[in-house]
Amino acid sequence: SHLRVSASGPDAISEKVAESIKEAEEACAGDPVSGECVAAWDAVEELSAAASHARERSKNSDPLETYCKDNPETDECRTYDN
Amino acid sequence: MAISTAHSLNPTYSIFNPTQTHLGFSQRQQVIYKARVRPSYVITCSAGDTIVIGLAADSGCGKSTFMRRLTSVFGGAAEPPRGGNPDSNTLISDTTTVICLDDYHSLDRTGRKEKGVTALDPRANDFDLMYEQVKALKSGVAVQKPIYNHVTGLLDPPELIKPPKILVIEGLHPMYDKRVRDLLDFSIYLDISNDVKFAWKIQRDMAERGHSLESIKASIEARKPDFDAYIDPQKQYADAVIEVLPTQLIPGDNEGKVLRVKLIMKEGVQYFSPVYLFDEGSTISWIPCGRKLTCSYPGIKFAYGPDSYFGNEVSILEMDGQFDRLDELIYVESHLSNISTKFYGEVTQQMLKHSDFPGSNNGTGLFQTIVGLKIRDLFEQISSSKAAGTLQAAKA
Repeated sequence: SHLRVSASGPDAISEKVAESIKEAEEACAGDPVSGECVAAWDAVEELSAAASHARERSKNSDPLETYCKDNPETDECRTYDN
Repeated sequence: MAISTAHSLNPTYSIFNPTQTHLGFSQRQQVIYKARVRPSYVITCSAGDTIVIGLAADSGCGKSTFMRRLTSVFGGAAEPPRGGNPDSNTLISDTTTVICLDDYHSLDRTGRKEKGVTALDPRANDFDLMYEQVKALKSGVAVQKPIYNHVTGLLDPPELIKPPKILVIEGLHPMYDKRVRDLLDFSIYLDISNDVKFAWKIQRDMAERGHSLESIKASIEARKPDFDAYIDPQKQYADAVIEVLPTQLIPGDNEGKVLRVKLIMKEGVQYFSPVYLFDEGSTISWIPCGRKLTCSYPGIKFAYGPDSYFGNEVSILEMDGQFDRLDELIYVESHLSNISTKFYGEVTQQMLKHSDFPGSNNGTGLFQTIVGLKIRDLFEQISSSKAAGTLQAAKA
């Protein structure tokens, strides 16, 4: 039903984070100290960390530098050391 | 003297079938890894040059920033293995390979949910395999290390890790198992206080869909018993601990923006001499703000002195507050001794190089950079003493 561009893209992980939070809230509704509840919140933390790392990666990409990786011979990308 | 390298005799690891289903196979898979780790490689005379560094910290406590600062000290960019699994956790540069210990999870995410254990629980980790592979890398033997995929929560097919000059193992349990701990040449623990951890996770997660203050709090609370039982006790074994606390310069502050950071350095560790301020072994409090250093509210305060930590003699260097202008850090750097720089201003230069990293204007960035330089120094000392040892052996 959902369009998934890349399994590890920030948007796809965001969706998983939201899902995992719902699951954790459900798992903890019955017993807030059960192993099931604790493991579910641990999964939330793991996915939140992965989401943050993915955001970091995509944020750091400068559009010109990304373009120059694939097209080093173009006018705007050519650099000579001396 | 003959120089030789480690060769792969049998680089075929085709036992793993990537098309097979991932569901519920973690126990079986583990056995397969163990069975084929060792016999495929020979140890040759260049073996045993790898030094091993352990970095322990909880999830979301700045391990990756620390790693980027550390690999930068050694020069060259650290990148994931080329052409491999795009979700690999490994970072490789010319000298350094960083592996994430989550790759040694024995239970995948589904397995942990079924058993009701967290990733912090030793039962969710395979310390036998961790020990075997770290030992193999340390003695110059390449290994096929599993990959824990943080996005899917599954154990992916393994990747080949060759023995580097410096191996960094980072994660939740680098000092938990005594056998692994004894392999470490140096160990670091990032100790983030609860208030700061909460503030950092709010900054990290609040923008994320589904997260709320309640969900962030619930996640920290749920993991805390396991964290206290299995992760936190490791700090007693660390050679250096970076402790991050709320500031004392602003009364009642717990926003986590201004930080008080302590660098706790164990005394008497071979190849590691602690940093000091002005006079080694004295107790000193220093406010550098004045004519030579611009500080706006709340200013900067340093402290230094001997102390005891889990029964060990340590030296503690502390910085509270933050820099307004990073280039003025040179003034602070010039008053620190034993920082293992190669030239005057190297700490400041390293900090300026990565001014966009989190923590660059406070003690976390400063102390991480200094620890990076100490590790470089340790590596150089160990290498030269090994070279001297080989020379002696050759003469005899």
